[in-house]
Amino acid sequence: MHEFLAQLANGVELGAIYALIALGYTLVYGILELINFAHGDVYTFGSFTALVVLVALRAAHFLHGAGLILGIVAALAVAILACALLNAGIERLAYRRLRKAPRLAPLITAIGVSFMLENLIELWQGAAPVPFPNVIPNPELEIGALQVGVQQIVVVALAIATMVALHYFVKRSRLGKAMRAVAQDRDAASLVGIDVDRTIAITFLIAGALAGVAGFVGGVSFGSAWFLNGFGAGLRAFTAAVLGGIGNIAGAMLGGFLIGLLESFSTWFIGGQWSNVAVFSVLILVLVFRPSGLLGESLPEKV
Amino acid sequence: MRSPRIAALAALLLLAAPLSACSSGPAPASTTIGIGVDLPLSGADASVGTSTLDGIKLAVERANAQGVPGGFTFAVQALDDTQQGVHNPQQGASNVRTLIADDSVLAIVGPYNSNVAAAEIPITNQAGIVQISPSAVSDGLTLGKDAAMLRRANPDVNTFFRVCTTDSRQGSAAARFALDLKLKRVYIVDDNETYGLDLANVFARDFAKLGGTVLGRDHIAPDTQDFKALLLKIKGYKPDFIFFGGTTSTGGGLLRRQMFDVGMGKVAFMGGDGIPDIAEVAKKRADGTYYTVAAPNADLLPAAKQFVAAYKAKFGSDVGPYSANAYAATQVAISAIEQAIVANGKKMPTRAQVLAKIPHGAKNEVMTPIGPISFDKNGDVRKPVISLYAIRNGHSAFIEQLNLSE
Repeated sequence: MHEFLAQLANGVELGAIYALIALGYTLVYGILELINFAHGDVYTFGSFTALVVLVALRAAHFLHGAGLILGIVAALAVAILACALLNAGIERLAYRRLRKAPRLAPLITAIGVSFMLENLIELWQGAAPVPFPNVIPNPELEIGALQVGVQQIVVVALAIATMVALHYFVKRSRLGKAMRAVAQDRDAASLVGIDVDRTIAITFLIAGALAGVAGFVGGVSFGSAWFLNGFGAGLRAFTAAVLGGIGNIAGAMLGGFLIGLLESFSTWFIGGQWSNVAVFSVLILVLVFRPSGLLGESLPEKV
Repeated sequence: MRSPRIAALAALLLLAAPLSACSSGPAPASTTIGIGVDLPLSGADASVGTSTLDGIKLAVERANAQGVPGGFTFAVQALDDTQQGVHNPQQGASNVRTLIADDSVLAIVGPYNSNVAAAEIPITNQAGIVQISPSAVSDGLTLGKDAAMLRRANPDVNTFFRVCTTDSRQGSAAARFALDLKLKRVYIVDDNETYGLDLANVFARDFAKLGGTVLGRDHIAPDTQDFKALLLKIKGYKPDFIFFGGTTSTGGGLLRRQMFDVGMGKVAFMGGDGIPDIAEVAKKRADGTYYTVAAPNADLLPAAKQFVAAYKAKFGSDVGPYSANAYAATQVAISAIEQAIVANGKKMPTRAQVLAKIPHGAKNEVMTPIGPISFDKNGDVRKPVISLYAIRNGHSAFIEQLNLSE
């Protein structure tokens, strides 16, 4: 029982990170029908910007008492801002010109951008994994039979708060409504006076911001940042988005948590070397038997 | 749009022209003998790779200062086998081909990693060039059917030697060390690579044979970031320690670090010579880690003191885990080349003549900082030593060593 609950908590923590990244894939796909393969590397960039801020603050002896909380907020804010701008910049420079090109062109461009980001991050921070500062003290709390670390609670709470905020933004705000309109029909949206270019840019900003949050919590949770992290995490998050139904926001969250739990429990029951097999088998099974995912509507047009 | 692009292209070509002229310039003077080197010099293995290269540079510098018969000079030609941040067998194989294509290269020192060595040995075996590794410890590189497969091109000729000892000796020494430390219950994890898997297999066998309890065994997938699921599972077994077969970069560092996240910080962690740099990833959490190195502790050998002092003076840093081995491997290669020069009437010897001068048996040992070295018929050292270290306050502390003379 003890171990089951511990694995459950670990799966939820992992799932929260995947869900945040998956949301970025799904938002962009929803509006452009583009699988933004560079998204995983935006996540890596978020980890490193948060890491750089924390290391600088620690060197300035700032991370004590109230300074610690301020420092964490600052690192998170910088990561969010940097990733949002990076993602919007990628859209502006690499994808906007290709909006009317055949679908394969932006897809391959996305892979190219991904390689570029990976190598630029390697140039910046080197190829060895960089330890992420242990900013959140991690005493174990006992809640009944469940043992969880404070770090775990912070990671999951931060991720869920972000997702709730996103949900309300998309459903309630004017910009959210514009995003949904552009996703539904770009031409009709521009006919009723929505600035399509601006709406798409904002979608990329938001997707990037989510990757920034994910980068921060991922760094805290795994304890290191590495220039290739985004590749593996990105593929798993992409699987989560497909599982939930790509283009569907609630689906990406559900898919993220399911993939996190699957990774955790497959490690427990079958063994660590099989967790990737379990996760990517799900990708294949979903694509074969239910390409629209758990919550997605079937849209035969979309690729 | 067209013409500026063409102009830019032309400018690029003009810029490139003098560069290509450089690389295809006059061949190196015939008095230079190349010592080829293949090591991981960037990426996750950079710190162990460069300290190993420094050992080689020091040996070459010494030999040149003492004067080489026939008026030759040795020069290090180092290539990096890192790709995407990690040592890469295909890159190693391609590096070795590059070195062999250069006629002035008479011996190769390296590689660092066993899986890279397995890709390189068939090539050096076919070319008949001496290759000496400071650190590749996997058994199958020199022993049994695996080694025979690697020597398919010239089954009767062995060109691969190593100055470190083997995985199986390291694994069984680690099993003895663990029981000496009163660590009796182990959970074993490995990274599924040539080196890690072999080390963990031998450790599992010998630890059980000597009376320890093996609670379970797991392998990790490449690029894994989250080890907490695995560690939670291990925690349920209440082990005295976790034995890890692998390197810091393939998961050792994060595994140790995340042990603290699941409340296993006080459980000991042990591994082989793949994790001496673990503190770089695990930081303060590396304390409580034990590791073996398939070489004597250089500080304890009289011949080593001089080496350690010279190394510190030249490079301004502490000796790396395999610097002394690299120095020794280079000394052996240089000694064989110098003898071959003399035997060849002070003229440039062939690679086969150099191979014939590699020390075998008890008679012609080469004196090195890691003790006198000569090889058995498989290419392994005749007097292996294994030492045990612990990480304390983020630094390596020597504990004990075992002499495993045959």
